[in-house]
Amino acid sequence: MKHLSAICMLACLAITNGVACGQNGPRPTNLGASNLDLGESGIAWYTTWETAQTEARRSGRPIMFVAAATQCHGVSGVF
Amino acid sequence: MRIDSYETKDHQEYVRTFLNGRFENSAFCLLDPNGQDWLTRAGRGPEMVLEHRSSVIQMKTIAAKYPDRKDGTHALVQDFHSVRQALNVASADQRVLVLVSGPQNQTDALRTSLQAVSNDKRIVGRFHFDFDEDGDWSKLIEGLKAEPGIIVIRPGEFGLDGTVMNQLPLHAANSEIIAALLAANAEFAKTTRKKIYSDHVSKGSRLGVYFESVVPYGEDRNGDGKIDHTGGPLRRRP
Repeated sequence: MKHLSAICMLACLAITNGVACGQNGPRPTNLGASNLDLGESGIAWYTTWETAQTEARRSGRPIMFVAAATQCHGVSGVF
Repeated sequence: MRIDSYETKDHQEYVRTFLNGRFENSAFCLLDPNGQDWLTRAGRGPEMVLEHRSSVIQMKTIAAKYPDRKDGTHALVQDFHSVRQALNVASADQRVLVLVSGPQNQTDALRTSLQAVSNDKRIVGRFHFDFDEDGDWSKLIEGLKAEPGIIVIRPGEFGLDGTVMNQLPLHAANSEIIAALLAANAEFAKTTRKKIYSDHVSKGSRLGVYFESVVPYGEDRNGDGKIDHTGGPLRRRP
């Protein structure tokens, strides 16, 4: 349960940041830092469709699909 | 899985598939293990798909219908389409990047042998992993030895470059790799300042940082196939 909570929390965080540059999302000036401490364990993401699908088929586990932007107005290094 | 909406045209098409033909910065959906059937409706984010108060219960209920068929310690090792993308994502997540570089016949073997490393409880979810056989990214990495290896990289602030923290031979023992990664992670956490989103974007804008993408930035909210606005660099107020 704790693990799932962490997954959901991080998923929400990723998405919240992902829409930051969208017209209806929060503005960049309203966003702060991640709740996750540096070096701590977060979600072990698969970052290509192919690897994620291969692993899901192998393990039989469902897929949490997330698409997000790794930049804001072209400034990289941020979700 | 988490893909970058702007990394490729295919990714853009995936997003359109989930958003009724629209293209927006983000998308969210739960899928069956084949990646074909939707287990939930889709939306821009989990808050639009799952009920906020019971989102954990909903995910747990769905997961319970799909008990693990295989041992998690043999889960596939993560990979990226490019080192450029790996650096950017590692920077955005503020994680150390583990890059396996060398001839394909050697890196392919490591895709299997490294499973014991990437799925180790001390390692999983703390790093990003990438495999590459080209080496055309080498100019982006400072301190690189010009030889095949398992390269432990501190991503740059804006994910445009990186610095070698350690470089191990491809034949290094898993115990040696794990020890190197744990040391690098501890060092990274100790010496890196956590990013504040607004400060990061402001600083990047001031410095003129601009990450070129394959597809144009912006969204297609009416689903006519055309990007509605450019989503270009921020304009600074005079």
